[in-house]
Amino acid sequence: MSATTVFSAKKIITMNPARPHVSHVAVRDGKVFATGTLEEIARWGDYTLDETFADKIIMPGLIEGHCHLMAGGIWKYSYVGYQDRVDPDGKSWPGVKTLENVHARLKEAETKLGPDEPLVAWGFDPIFLMDRRLDRNDLDAVSKSRPIAVVHSNFHLMTVNSTALSLANYVADMGVDGIALGADGTPNGELQEMAAMFPIMRRLGINLRELGRTRASIVAFGKVCNRVGVTTAADLINDLPDEDVDEMQDITAAADYPIRLLSLLNGLAQPADETRTRALELKPKSTDKLRLGSVKIVTDGSIQGFTARIRWPHHYNGAPNGIWNIVPEQLNTLVSILHDAGIQMHIHTNGDEAIEAALEALEIAKTKNNRPDILHVLQHCQMADRAQFRKMKKLGVAANLFSNHIFYFGDKHYELTIGPDRALRMDACQSAIDYDVPFTIHSDAPVTPMAPLFTAWCAVNRLTESGRVLGEYEKISVAEALQAITLGAAATLQMDHEVGSIEVGKWADFAILDDDPETIGAENLKNVGIWGTVLAGDKHEIR
Amino acid sequence: MNQRDKPLPMTVLSGFLGAGKTTLVNHLLRHSAGQKIMVLVNDFGELPIDQDLIEAENGDVITLANGCACCSMGGDLYKAFSTALDFTPPPDQLLIEASGVAEPKRIANFAKAEPDLTLNGIVTVIDALNFEEMQSDPRVSDVIKAQISAAHLLLVNKIDRASERQRAEVEAKVREINATAPLVAIANGALASEIFFGPKITPDELPMIDAAHLSHEMQFDRWSYRTEEKIDAEMLRNMLRSLPPSVLRLKGIFCRTDKPGVWTVHKVGSHVDIGPVSRAFNPADTSEFVAIGMQNTNLSQFLDKAFSNLK
Ligand SMILES: [Zn+2]
Ligand SMILES: [Zn+2]
Repeated sequence: MSATTVFSAKKIITMNPARPHVSHVAVRDGKVFATGTLEEIARWGDYTLDETFADKIIMPGLIEGHCHLMAGGIWKYSYVGYQDRVDPDGKSWPGVKTLENVHARLKEAETKLGPDEPLVAWGFDPIFLMDRRLDRNDLDAVSKSRPIAVVHSNFHLMTVNSTALSLANYVADMGVDGIALGADGTPNGELQEMAAMFPIMRRLGINLRELGRTRASIVAFGKVCNRVGVTTAADLINDLPDEDVDEMQDITAAADYPIRLLSLLNGLAQPADETRTRALELKPKSTDKLRLGSVKIVTDGSIQGFTARIRWPHHYNGAPNGIWNIVPEQLNTLVSILHDAGIQMHIHTNGDEAIEAALEALEIAKTKNNRPDILHVLQHCQMADRAQFRKMKKLGVAANLFSNHIFYFGDKHYELTIGPDRALRMDACQSAIDYDVPFTIHSDAPVTPMAPLFTAWCAVNRLTESGRVLGEYEKISVAEALQAITLGAAATLQMDHEVGSIEVGKWADFAILDDDPETIGAENLKNVGIWGTVLAGDKHEIR
Repeated sequence: MNQRDKPLPMTVLSGFLGAGKTTLVNHLLRHSAGQKIMVLVNDFGELPIDQDLIEAENGDVITLANGCACCSMGGDLYKAFSTALDFTPPPDQLLIEASGVAEPKRIANFAKAEPDLTLNGIVTVIDALNFEEMQSDPRVSDVIKAQISAAHLLLVNKIDRASERQRAEVEAKVREINATAPLVAIANGALASEIFFGPKITPDELPMIDAAHLSHEMQFDRWSYRTEEKIDAEMLRNMLRSLPPSVLRLKGIFCRTDKPGVWTVHKVGSHVDIGPVSRAFNPADTSEFVAIGMQNTNLSQFLDKAFSNLK
């Protein structure tokens, strides 16, 4: 007979309403065998008591429902963001608070490079360093011989030095959108959007997609999750060729790999029929720790990049409407084909016009063929109004709301992109609750840092960087936010029968916390200390 | 990364869903006139490109997935462009079949920024039969407008099935959005490769190829010009910009008054590009130009005049 381990804890938050708080949880064969008091559990027979967590709080392993594997690999480059961060290997990176800090950080990084290596840094956020823009002169002061590229935190911009500029022949005004010019009329080093960044990235070998595919990145990604209490994470877009699937199976199978990984097939990289065939082919390759078979569809761009598809009255600052990635009519066809085949779709929609198009496509598909067995999810779903939540409810569609946006981009949305009316209702968790739409909240790491308890803090407090409350009404309670980052996320990944709560028969996946999120106070939710996780009964202490 | 010894000409083929982009691509691959064409497909809504055309070795196809920068970090674009640029053997032409909702200007920006690419124009196909209906969808009307206004060459397709009135209405509507680009009516996506990619006038291929390739294209005229005199590049640029839309494509190699070496020029619509010929080449101080224009527009007459006025 299999062995039973019983973990004791100061408090166990189960997310099981029949038994919300217990003192002990028993694990057998990687699954939750029993919860309750030690006396209750003892009647099942022999057990080993593990008191490692006697003064800790145990809750269900946290679930990040939308992020990208690159969140691991990006740490290959030097971090120059404003917030303090810890990398996957436990190294602390204090935030850079001034341009002098940036200089010092880059100087230090430069000493560790070989003679021919470019210096690449990431995470830079000019919003915080307001005195002036970073430009090529700042970077020339670090090195005049080595190409330098500083990728901004939103991945839409980079600043490079003169050496990098001349590698790509960016030496005079070339009349290209996105190559910013200085007062003297020559490129000042700031490059906007992919077309302008590509020549530099190509010459410096900055291939962000490849970065996510490497073994090192997938391993580092597991550590990123572990550090923030995450035991299940969804990689929201991947080409998933066979060799990558083999490697992911291999990496995730290792006993020390601390998460269950879902990876979604890019639904816009091939004709609809081929997407269907490939998704059906991938599904049986799933294992306990690797889940495949769902499809990602990207309909529009991003609000902060002015590329989201927004309904009338469009952008607050008058910028033209954003971009579609698929013709709405074509979306209707694709959605119907995948839906009929029983394939779960995660549909990226930021703007309310994109949300409307996605809901229309789902309505057509579901009217023809209901398939109540599949839960489709609108990803980001940032600008949905209440009528759209009602429609989601009617259609049985879930939402994954981008609550981190409230903090990181909320001020910009209020002042520039969509204006107060729509900014105050964005990422509307309360509306999701009002209309009983299954929902979770996410980071889209590495776009914003992964940390579900921080994301929960955003949903609860709705504070922007400048301290503005972005819509009182859409705030939710701590209990609701904790539900969103556990069972809510599990539902959107169609795994709520396996993970998301500490209940008999589910995987013994836990987040081990130093503080009690239920009592620490709404304003402190992001400060909850994390010991590590337990996955299928195995302890993974943060190292 | 491979360093190319001359930039790869990139043509963006844009047009809304169902306009006939893929049929045109198939036609161009079938009549490639010996050029190796790499097609970057960004549209999965229309018919697929004929497999046998790809396998016939005058074409290679790379797929380019759509995605927003926030989720894909531009990864798809990076992969597609670097594959095209590093491809061996290097292609002669890069044709991007943009998705039905792509804004061609954004894609064209890649060719303007990347030193190993040169923009060979934005060609937009319009469906003569469906244009009105598509335009009436407010979700995409701005996209269709952007595709037409960015075009350097406009193709009104399915003209054989359109009525006279339909044709006139579509042309009028298109002209409201873009008054300067040449507008050519085509049927079944058939267009000579020389018009799509421009006439061949590379240093390797002088003297100019014979006119036989155009013989089945009755609606076009061609013109060529040769001079021993050096040319003022700025005057040339301004003159080319002022030419009427009946001039579809113009290419040339020439010697400049102000700088040494050999230079190339190509024009399609409002897009005029002048650059140095990077390979060692000495055409004995002769400048040569070739153009393709609409028939019955006195092409030779006014081009001869415009070029002789350059001095
Ligand atoms: Zn994402
Ligand atoms: Zn996204």
